[in-house]
Amino acid sequence: MAQAAAVVQAGPSGYGSAASPSSSPGIDIARVSKTFLVNGAPVEALRDISLAVESGAFVSLVGPSGCGKSTLLRLIAGLETADAGVIRVGDRPIRRPGLDRGMVFQDHRLFPWLTVERNILLSLRRTSYSEKQKQKIVRDLIALVGLKGFEQAQPHQLSGGMSQRAAIARALAPRPDILLLDEPFGALDSLTRTHLQTEFLRIWKHEGITMLMVTHDVEEAVFLSDRVVVIAPRPGRIRRIVDVPLEKPRRRADGAFIALKEEILADLNAAEA
Amino acid sequence: MSASLVGASLAQSGRWRGLVLPGALLLVWVAVAAGGGPKSAVFVSPGAVLAAAREAIESGDLPGAAGATLLRAFLGWSIGSAAGFALGLLLGLSAWSRRAAAPTLHGARQIALFAWIPLLSAWLGNGEAMKIALIALSGFFPVLLHVEAGCRDVPQPYREVARLFAFDRFGEIAFVILPAAAPTIISGLELAFAIAWIGTIGAEYLIGTGYMNASPDGIGAFLAGARENARMDLVVVGILSLALIGFVLDRAVVLASRRAVAWRRQPQ
Repeated sequence: MAQAAAVVQAGPSGYGSAASPSSSPGIDIARVSKTFLVNGAPVEALRDISLAVESGAFVSLVGPSGCGKSTLLRLIAGLETADAGVIRVGDRPIRRPGLDRGMVFQDHRLFPWLTVERNILLSLRRTSYSEKQKQKIVRDLIALVGLKGFEQAQPHQLSGGMSQRAAIARALAPRPDILLLDEPFGALDSLTRTHLQTEFLRIWKHEGITMLMVTHDVEEAVFLSDRVVVIAPRPGRIRRIVDVPLEKPRRRADGAFIALKEEILADLNAAEA
Repeated sequence: MSASLVGASLAQSGRWRGLVLPGALLLVWVAVAAGGGPKSAVFVSPGAVLAAAREAIESGDLPGAAGATLLRAFLGWSIGSAAGFALGLLLGLSAWSRRAAAPTLHGARQIALFAWIPLLSAWLGNGEAMKIALIALSGFFPVLLHVEAGCRDVPQPYREVARLFAFDRFGEIAFVILPAAAPTIISGLELAFAIAWIGTIGAEYLIGTGYMNASPDGIGAFLAGARENARMDLVVVGILSLALIGFVLDRAVVLASRRAVAWRRQPQ
């Protein structure tokens, strides 16, 4: 069961599939393994992972810390290379990072020497847009993530939530087909986190691109995703894939919502044991 | 600005405390001189120093010497910093060149600055080229080491952002590595300037020119000449002007570098 290939498709309630018909390619992960050397000793981070994420879907990876979920994201981003197996975006196997994939980290990673506007603009350096188009993209994204009026702010002047909004805008600027999110709201206080999750749902609907998010917050995963992939640790492997057939936007107090959350949590606890 | 305004702003900022110690020393000096002072040729009264200062300024000797020293220090520092920057960049960006050149450079760094004088004077003579070379050398190593360390220590997360946005090597260096390393690089330039300033006085004092105490030879030669002629008052004038110019330069450099990397001082 754990090593079986699993095809994840955007459910009927998925915003993404409606907003973006076939332009944005999905992700195809085939029998991927990765082992790291930690102090000279091999540590198996991922074993024989196969997963397909359809275009426009929102998929979350949940699992205990150290289960390799972040490694999987870094492999898709092209920041690491797999020891075995292949990852394809569209039809092309991934070898290195590219503008077709954006990534948002838990730490916002904005450059502290640049303003919000210049941080976003710099991500467009390798695109072929004209200066005027770049200015417009930056302006539109700043409006989309709700940072109007903070264009000239330095990162240190922003709160955690605002920094993360800027980081999301920066990752979206080159118009990626896929956005990879590594615990994007993990460092925020719970009030800001809940608010930003709702905002992010709107951004996803607007952009209509494929989202793959790593989180350890099951409620967050159930709130945002079409599918939740539960990863078991040591070595990291897929334990189970859970459909979330609820209408979006979802209500956290809903009976069905809570039931799904409990089910996944129980599975996670079993995986950790 | 009027004197009262200066007084008011000093009182407000609390910086007047910095004036207490030099003021007290001056008072002690004045008191000792008023009491007759030690009967020695090496003791000079504040009055004599003041008169000597006026004489040196009016004759144009001191301003000329100060100008020459400043010019020499800037020139030597610029040359040394440029060379240190170029080599530091190479070593900071390429592990291969670091492995090849680092042992040699770290060995050369251990040689005391003034130990280079015999070798350099054999190559370059005892003239201006030799002095500039020595000053440049004094500024070279601090810049080299800081640029190398600054470039090498750029946090991995920043480099990953550059990779994610498909930056080429030039883009990574120009827009990520150099800005991230800027605070370290600038402190290297600051340190290099402080060392080059001291190196300049040393070079002027130690390297003979054949015509002592001419203005173009700088404050170092001004001091050497004053000592030769047993003019203790002029020696004190030279030392005090060094302290004053050095202090002003240091403040200016620190202010300029703070402006350049203002983002660094903010809590992250």
